Amino acid sequence: MRESPRQIFVLVASFALLAALPWIAGAVGRPDLVTLGSQACVMAIAAASLDLLMGRTGLPSFGHAAWLGLGAYTVGILAFHARDLGPPWDQWAVQAWAVWPLAVLVPAALAAVIGALCLRTSGISFIMITLAFAQMFFFLFVALKTYGGDDGLTLRRRSTIPGIAPRDDVAFFYVCLTALVLVLLLLRRVAASRFGTVLDGIRQNERRMMAIGLSPFPYKLAAFVLSAGIAGLAGALHVNLFRFASPDLLHWTMSGELMVMVVLGGLGSLWGAMFGAAAMVVLHAVLAQWTEHWQIVLGPILVAVVLLARRGLWGALGGK
Amino acid sequence: MSALLEVRGLAKRFGGLVATDGLNLDVASGEIHALIGPNGAGKTTAIGQIAGEIRPDAGTIHLAGQDITRLGVPARVRAGMTRSFQITQVLMNASALANVALVEQVRQGHSFRLWRPAARDERLLAPARAMLERVGLGARADVAAEDLSHGERRQLELAMALATNPRLLLLDEPMAGLGTTESAAMTVLLAALKQEVSILLVEHDMDAVFALADRITVLEGGRVIAHGTPAAIRADAAVRDAYLGAA
Ligand SMILES: Nc1ncnc2c1ncn2[C@@H]1O[C@H](COP(=O)(O)OP(=O)(O)OP(=O)(O)O)[C@@H](O)[C@H]1O
Ligand SMILES: [Mg+2]
Repeated sequence: MRESPRQIFVLVASFALLAALPWIAGAVGRPDLVTLGSQACVMAIAAASLDLLMGRTGLPSFGHAAWLGLGAYTVGILAFHARDLGPPWDQWAVQAWAVWPLAVLVPAALAAVIGALCLRTSGISFIMITLAFAQMFFFLFVALKTYGGDDGLTLRRRSTIPGIAPRDDVAFFYVCLTALVLVLLLLRRVAASRFGTVLDGIRQNERRMMAIGLSPFPYKLAAFVLSAGIAGLAGALHVNLFRFASPDLLHWTMSGELMVMVVLGGLGSLWGAMFGAAAMVVLHAVLAQWTEHWQIVLGPILVAVVLLARRGLWGALGGK
Repeated sequence: MSALLEVRGLAKRFGGLVATDGLNLDVASGEIHALIGPNGAGKTTAIGQIAGEIRPDAGTIHLAGQDITRLGVPARVRAGMTRSFQITQVLMNASALANVALVEQVRQGHSFRLWRPAARDERLLAPARAMLERVGLGARADVAAEDLSHGERRQLELAMALATNPRLLLLDEPMAGLGTTESAAMTVLLAALKQEVSILLVEHDMDAVFALADRITVLEGGRVIAHGTPAAIRADAAVRDAYLGAA
């Protein structure tokens, strides 16, 4: 895989625009655009991680929100207990360098177990079983009254990052943007590796892969775990962005939204997930101001994009 | 001296239909063994069971003395046996070279590398290029599989099976859909392979079968109705009635 000059131009322009967002927001007097930008970056990370499964490996997980939510709650719960812990744990429990890796590892470890079960199925059964596991986590957090249950869990202050003031929304935006760039570069590297080549083969023709001596299961499981870990990172950023985690993050509608982002951006296109996520976040914000029944308006827009640009936004922007 | 492949009492039903009915079959080392029979005789079903894709209802399969009846498809490939498909199964949006390089990668067994780019790895590309050269696709290495002609895809299908470095190849109609010249070229190619790999060949092209086979087994309704040398099969009245007919 190598990007065409046009695709490189689209990417450079998009990232330049994103990097300039705080100035633009200042110039038009809309500081809230910075938060919207952060949200787009965070959802883009989650969508890109789902694209590794759906688009590259051909595994349409309908439970991806679980990993997003587990990453968020990992950060939230550790911060919640920080005061009860003695030194140095009380400090570590709010440090980004300590808790964000945990927000990656906790979902990844659970995904290793749940993935091993889900991957015994395929097709519609796989969609249903991933959905069922995610809903199980949703109801778990609804039931956990200690951590707010239905009402969600508030994060008193953002995870500590040396040199960055916790209330500086612009600085936090750049943290999210940096994370997005690093995740996309990692995923691109993985896609072009031997491992990525195998995932491509499994998606295109699993029967042929077995006939050349490959057992698909370990590779599917590794992709499942990797994608859950990256979604966990998105969750860690999400809870920091809004200083709030709620069971809604794990709800099946969130899993569905992530799938829509992936398809809208261009299934399997790697860079596309970012455009799909940004489009959804922006549309969501614009339509929600307009009408509370924003989903009714969103539906036809999505159908139109999918019909008009069959390879999604990335196909439309970047060409072949 | 036992055969490379030994199939004993293989049986498979699909509902009421008996697709394989007590099949016994030996493929000796260095042999091309043809499995022929009319449409629906159960040839593909037999190949599927030997390759491990279809679970037989009864019977055993041994490869070089090892009981492989319960092994999965990938394990059988690693044990030294692979199949080609009647309907070409290649990765359509990858180049011919990338398809074979992927087989090479799986054979070398280092697919859990997540960092270095695979597409420029000479340890995969060099043997893949050599394999394409061998099947006569050397000049078409960089063409996407979807842009190859039907005949070239059949060659690629064979190259992918060969790249697993098998002792036994199960070929399901390698000539399917090929023109006369292409079939003749494929026949030459398969004859040349005989030095290093044994072949169980399912094929409707009788010119190819009689040119290549050391022995022939004839299936009808899932059962063996005759087996022997090409000369004996050609002379067999039952085979003539069932299958060869006009030939
Ligand atoms: N999965 C299946 N379910 C039900 N019936 C099947 C299945 N696969 C094959 N059959 C039936 O089993 C019989 C044998 O089919 P098979 O494909 O093995 O024949 P074949 O000898 O390869 O024929 P051809 O020369 O047309 O390729 C046929 O009657 C076929 O319809
Ligand atoms: Mg057949």
